[in-house]
Amino acid sequence: MFDYIINVSGYILEGSLVTFQLYLATAVFSVILGIAGALGKISKIPFLESILSFYTWVFRGTPLLLQLFFAYYGLPVLGITLQPFPAAVLTFIVNYGAYFTEIFRGGIESIGKGQYEAAKVLGLNYRQTMSRIILPQTVKRVLPATSNEAINLVKDSALVAVIGLGDLLRSAKVAVTRDFSIIPFIIAAVFYLVISSVIVTVFRKLEEKYSVYE
Amino acid sequence: MIKAKNIYKSFGELEVLSNVSFEVQRGDVISIIGPSGSGKSTLLRSLIGLEEINSGELYIEGISVAESGKEAYEKMGMVFQGFNLFPHKTVLGNLIEAPIVVKGEKKAEAKKKAEKLLKKVGLYDKKATYPAQLSGGQKQRVAIARALAMEPDIMLFDEPTSSLDPELVGEVLTVIRDLAEENITMLVVTHEMGFARDVSDRVFFMDHGQIISDTVPEKIFVNPESERIQSFLTKILSQN
Repeated sequence: MFDYIINVSGYILEGSLVTFQLYLATAVFSVILGIAGALGKISKIPFLESILSFYTWVFRGTPLLLQLFFAYYGLPVLGITLQPFPAAVLTFIVNYGAYFTEIFRGGIESIGKGQYEAAKVLGLNYRQTMSRIILPQTVKRVLPATSNEAINLVKDSALVAVIGLGDLLRSAKVAVTRDFSIIPFIIAAVFYLVISSVIVTVFRKLEEKYSVYE
Repeated sequence: MIKAKNIYKSFGELEVLSNVSFEVQRGDVISIIGPSGSGKSTLLRSLIGLEEINSGELYIEGISVAESGKEAYEKMGMVFQGFNLFPHKTVLGNLIEAPIVVKGEKKAEAKKKAEKLLKKVGLYDKKATYPAQLSGGQKQRVAIARALAMEPDIMLFDEPTSSLDPELVGEVLTVIRDLAEENITMLVVTHEMGFARDVSDRVFFMDHGQIISDTVPEKIFVNPESERIQSFLTKILSQN
């Protein structure tokens, strides 16, 4: 029994490598996309605003699973064939980028205009004002919402199993079918809980760090 | 020095500054008084480019705002009614931010200068504190020091004591009074009539977007020339 748990855990851990890679790539690039999207949305350039509004409307308003199918099964119809992992990473980055665009936009807009005016009369230009005054304050305000998304991403990552990626969940499923045992599912659940707990802890530490002011 | 000629400014249909002209010499301390909505704050904000004027000419230390706004605005520092300190930076961080980022000063040099300014406003012991932990009066003194850190020739004060509890007004006015002794040009929008009377070289009385009186304080307070000023002063002095 104990040996079995160790064996299956090792097998599932191999699968979780894909989950980790997907998680890391999505976290890094969707946050970058979100910052760019948010800055674009507040840019007051009508064309850019419209495009970005359309983007967040589509990707927040349709199921992630549909977007995943679209990228993997749909795009080949148009002559664009992606391997499962690139298709998954791309979909996740664009999907989470849409959420982060709106979260960061809300955060930036919650900073009062007095901060912009103070920066302006001190001679800071737009880039300096955003990077040194506005965005650092935004970080603190968007931490709770970002923390939620970070945990959602752990769970959403399991969706990639449907396009045949051997992630954490799929490995567990394979083991369940192969061994006719429920233990692999329990181990998978424990894995997800551990990952989520680590993320929650990291964000709590971050929030503590930022609580030194205000 | 400041030279303003025929300044007009409107927000949509509403005309807030109408044909405003004045001159301020180096070292002058000007109080700007008048009823709310008379254009006092808009005038200050127009001087430093927070509002764009619709027409008129503006020269700051001989530099035309129309031709080289940035250079002209750099001659001025501004203090706001709501302080507008950077909450994510310490007191010292607030002071050294612009000198380092805008002027390219070395951090050590900027720090030394900032510490001197903090001593001047009596807040050296608060240098590592965040703004949220300060009282309103302390915040405003930090804001004054922050503006001074850019070594402006002209300081603009937009109702610097209006959002303070009455017992904190004094400490801020003392700092501004001390500054008035130095050779720094100051324009102060204020409701503190005692300050306007005692400290300023001249008083502008504004009403309906115009400077309807530009005179020495003795004249405006002892012997106001118009009924409008008389009634304003009676009203505001009875409140205090």
